[in-house]
Amino acid sequence: MREITYRQALNEALREELEKDERVFIMGEDVAIYGGAYGVTTDLWKKFGDERVKDTPISESAIVGIGLGAALTGMRPVVEIMYIDFIPLCLEQLNNQVAKIRYMFGGKCTVPLTIRTEGGAGRTLGAHHSQSLEAWLIHIPGIKVVMPSTPYDAKGLLKSSIREDNPVVFIEHKMLYNTKGKVPEEEYVLPIGVADVKREGKDVTIITYSRMVLFSLEAASFLEKEGISVEIIDLRTLLPLDIETIVKSVKKTNRVVIVEEDCKTGGVGAEVLSQIIENAFDYLDAPIKRVAGADVPMPKSPVLEKLAIPDVERICKGVKEVL
Amino acid sequence: MIHEIIMPKLGETMEEGYLINWRKEEGEKVEKGEILFEVMSDKTNFEVESLYSGYMRKKLYQPSDKPIPVTTVIGYISDTLDEEIPEFSPKLPKAEEIKQIETEIEKKERKEEKDFTRIRITPIAKRIAIEKGIDVTKIKGTGPDGRIEKEDVLSYIGEKTEEKTKSEGEYIVKEWTPLRRIISERLTKSKSTIPHYYIEGKIVMDSIIKLKEEKKKQNFDFSYTDFIVYFCSRTIKEYPMMNSAIIEDQIRIYNTIDIGIAVSIEEGLVVPVIKSCEKKTLTEISEEIKKLVSKAKEGKLIKEEIEGGRFVISNLGMFKVEKFYPIINPPGVAIMGIGTILKEPFVLNDTIKICSTISISLSLDHRVIDGVYAGKFFQRIKELMEMPCLEE
Repeated sequence: MREITYRQALNEALREELEKDERVFIMGEDVAIYGGAYGVTTDLWKKFGDERVKDTPISESAIVGIGLGAALTGMRPVVEIMYIDFIPLCLEQLNNQVAKIRYMFGGKCTVPLTIRTEGGAGRTLGAHHSQSLEAWLIHIPGIKVVMPSTPYDAKGLLKSSIREDNPVVFIEHKMLYNTKGKVPEEEYVLPIGVADVKREGKDVTIITYSRMVLFSLEAASFLEKEGISVEIIDLRTLLPLDIETIVKSVKKTNRVVIVEEDCKTGGVGAEVLSQIIENAFDYLDAPIKRVAGADVPMPKSPVLEKLAIPDVERICKGVKEVL
Repeated sequence: MIHEIIMPKLGETMEEGYLINWRKEEGEKVEKGEILFEVMSDKTNFEVESLYSGYMRKKLYQPSDKPIPVTTVIGYISDTLDEEIPEFSPKLPKAEEIKQIETEIEKKERKEEKDFTRIRITPIAKRIAIEKGIDVTKIKGTGPDGRIEKEDVLSYIGEKTEEKTKSEGEYIVKEWTPLRRIISERLTKSKSTIPHYYIEGKIVMDSIIKLKEEKKKQNFDFSYTDFIVYFCSRTIKEYPMMNSAIIEDQIRIYNTIDIGIAVSIEEGLVVPVIKSCEKKTLTEISEEIKKLVSKAKEGKLIKEEIEGGRFVISNLGMFKVEKFYPIINPPGVAIMGIGTILKEPFVLNDTIKICSTISISLSLDHRVIDGVYAGKFFQRIKELMEMPCLEE
């Protein structure tokens, strides 16, 4: 099977959906002529023109608000918030309007809006451009939060998100755009809300998502040499959480490490951990360990930035702590 | 040196005590540990030992029906007779003394509490221990701070030990398997707590053998166990106490006759249960036994299939065993042991005839089943089997 990058996979997903459904259009800062800050929308403007790939002023609130209006009138907009760090600027629209409107109108409308954004550290962009704010978003009932780790998942899930009748926040990771993976030529979609076992193992389960899946896989291959068999669950969707897959794995390994890039306090891992306690307490053989980002604004220094997020070594250490 | 004798606090709730009597006179020598006086608190009399050796010097209180607050000085002991004794000064203990004493008591209570600290055990380990009925206090935890983990429970019951036997020179050590543990615990409890007694008798099998052969001609292959289960179920209908169980201190007589049969498997034995035998024909019973036995051998019996057996039949006839007395399978109250079929001279109608016979024994729980009842049961099953008649 051919290998393409995460960026190309996303670009293909957008292209295919633009071709397939004329209600789909793209809107955001620098998405048209420039092709997106990280090149995800490269060449789409050339192919589909101004009507379907639109640059916007720098106003996140307007981008999401217009996206919502368009979605309510029957379009399937894909809007881009260049950095997840800018999400706070459009939280009013996202939290109070996008997420609520279908409910408040008794289900009489649908909101097929996809909000693409990207987050995470790794490029030493400092405290304003390196955050992982997904935990804020999973606290908003009414939206879905998707966070793929591989090109294959990214493509399949972006297509599903565009076809989804409820708003989806689709969070990419800036350090994943150049990673490669197998993606079939033929069309496919992946279900939202289903986690993926990226590696099977029997001693301990790592629950993770986005870039940390890659780190965890690397850690698992180190640990394998020491005779430790690690199972890795890639959540892929943070909201709704696929607790069934998690519980199944906990029943098998009885030990859990959660690896997340976001800040530990009130992070995604805290929610996953709580749900494990609620659903699989009787199957645990050790306290659950979180290997998470530090509770600090992301440092600009490359040395400190590395220290502020989990790395392979700390994941290995975390695994050993629960064994 | 002068030592104070105080009214001791002999219980958590004791605030005051009554001096009942002195056991030593003033001037008398006292050894440490000797009884010095007697005290009555709320309900009980206590003899209080001397904490010091020396001489009983002064009794500040005499036995009376007036309560004395705890820690009050009630007398003095001195090392020598010529030391000066303080003036008589009945006084209440100082507040700080009370406090100190209370702190001591609290400390003691805390220590006691500590002896009953929670056992550190992981949820899955606890779950397995409960499922297997294991006393977790006997398991040594290998996790952090001695936490009992899954593996500790599994190795305790012998499940995780990959090498089942360890060589120790002159002998090999066979690790307990979970099944052996269960057999061990259950049967030890049964034999040591149930007042067993045994009856035994012979049954002429000629008619059953004939019936078996006839049925075989009709392509029904019944085993002797099938016949015995069948006739037991019919007999138990008339003697329902045989189908009882002692559970939670109740003698429970069940409406359905569910008969267990002991089946030997590699690691020990299991007792699958044929439910509602009283409603089943011989063919149905036979089919069910075949199914359960093969599942037992493959280790595929499910919980429901081994639960609820009360009357149990154990057959060692195939090994030429003539008679044996099995141990009752609790909570049931009776178990039947079946021997081999023997051809032997038998007196029938005052003539000696060669007959095929088996020995049947019954081990019974005398708490529930008396000898006469068991005897009548045996007599009835003997009648039914010597002149067999099948309901269809």
